[in-house]
Amino acid sequence: MEGLTLMKDRRPATVPGSRPGPSARPDRGTRMADLMSAAAGGSEEALGQIVTELSPLLWQVARAAGLTSGDAEDVLQTVWLRLLSHWDSIRSPSSLTAWLVITTKREAWRVRAAGRRQLPVDQDQFTVLPDQGPGLEEQAIVDDQRRALWAAIDRLDRRCQELLRIIAFAPRPDYAAIAARLGMRPGSVGPTRGRCLAKLRGLLADGPEVSPA
Amino acid sequence: MKPSDAGGWPADGPLDETDLQILADIRDLFQAADPMPPDLPERIRFSLALRDLEVEVARLAAEEGQQMLAVRGPEQSRTITFDSDSLTIMIRIDRNRDGTARVDGWLAPAQRREIEMKTTSDTLSAASDEQGRFSFASVPRGTAQLVVRPADQGASGSGRSVVTPALIL
Repeated sequence: MEGLTLMKDRRPATVPGSRPGPSARPDRGTRMADLMSAAAGGSEEALGQIVTELSPLLWQVARAAGLTSGDAEDVLQTVWLRLLSHWDSIRSPSSLTAWLVITTKREAWRVRAAGRRQLPVDQDQFTVLPDQGPGLEEQAIVDDQRRALWAAIDRLDRRCQELLRIIAFAPRPDYAAIAARLGMRPGSVGPTRGRCLAKLRGLLADGPEVSPA
Repeated sequence: MKPSDAGGWPADGPLDETDLQILADIRDLFQAADPMPPDLPERIRFSLALRDLEVEVARLAAEEGQQMLAVRGPEQSRTITFDSDSLTIMIRIDRNRDGTARVDGWLAPAQRREIEMKTTSDTLSAASDEQGRFSFASVPRGTAQLVVRPADQGASGSGRSVVTPALIL
């Protein structure tokens, strides 16, 4: 499968001096706020940088909602186009991320409700181990640690699986806002660890139910 | 096996380094197993490059023929319908002999509007007639986006352009 990217290689060329991901730099909020006001004023470059930074998160939101790749691409485009008319209601980087996440989820529901191309529903709407291409298994699940993490995630309830998958791609200061918009309060991930991570750590500490070969 | 979530890591405890490491590991797993197509942000940026600051979004509602994102096949026509709050846009795409695409479209409710087909190299213009019909005889292969310009200050117009997502011709 092409497009397989390693953690070390992921660095958007268009956002100088920053790294995406959970380990947000302290000045990210300021930088995002500046990009937001420029984008709301019509700057394509500023909007483009926001797109580059937050689309990987929205991809996971759409895929966690059970969309095919093609539908997920359509939904992401729709969400970003809708943002053009919604700047007025968005006041902070956290509320932008939360708005994008919930809008992606709602657009995904809409596509699913319309009965368009859907993923075959296997056992559950959420597939923790997405369709793996040949050879991917060896690359993606290289060691016992990763296998153990997959196994532990697999034993969480669906809402926790979805939340953690989404949060893992979100900027850290935005965790609480996203969890709140997803209706995961109280006891959610935010300043606190939250129910889902607490459960996952417990499962990881308990070790695998079946020891790896 | 019993989960020990009541043990050393209470749900109301603060996020610690291990929690953040676990989230980073989860990110790695999904990044490897289900990565976003690398060219998607570029396509989104293309579709956001509009003259308007506010637009009405037409969502993909139905599609017949090839899948929008599938590799182009031979001589096959596709019909795609987009819906927005005020308009339905239906287009039929046929392949010309020279490899370009012919696009015939209909607006409902039928009305005269200026219509643009934005491509990566150019923006083509057309206008719909009273029956809402329009056509682009020759659109270059690749990424394209339809923009229906606002109606004159008529009763039906929202004053905003109606735009589709970028599609691949």
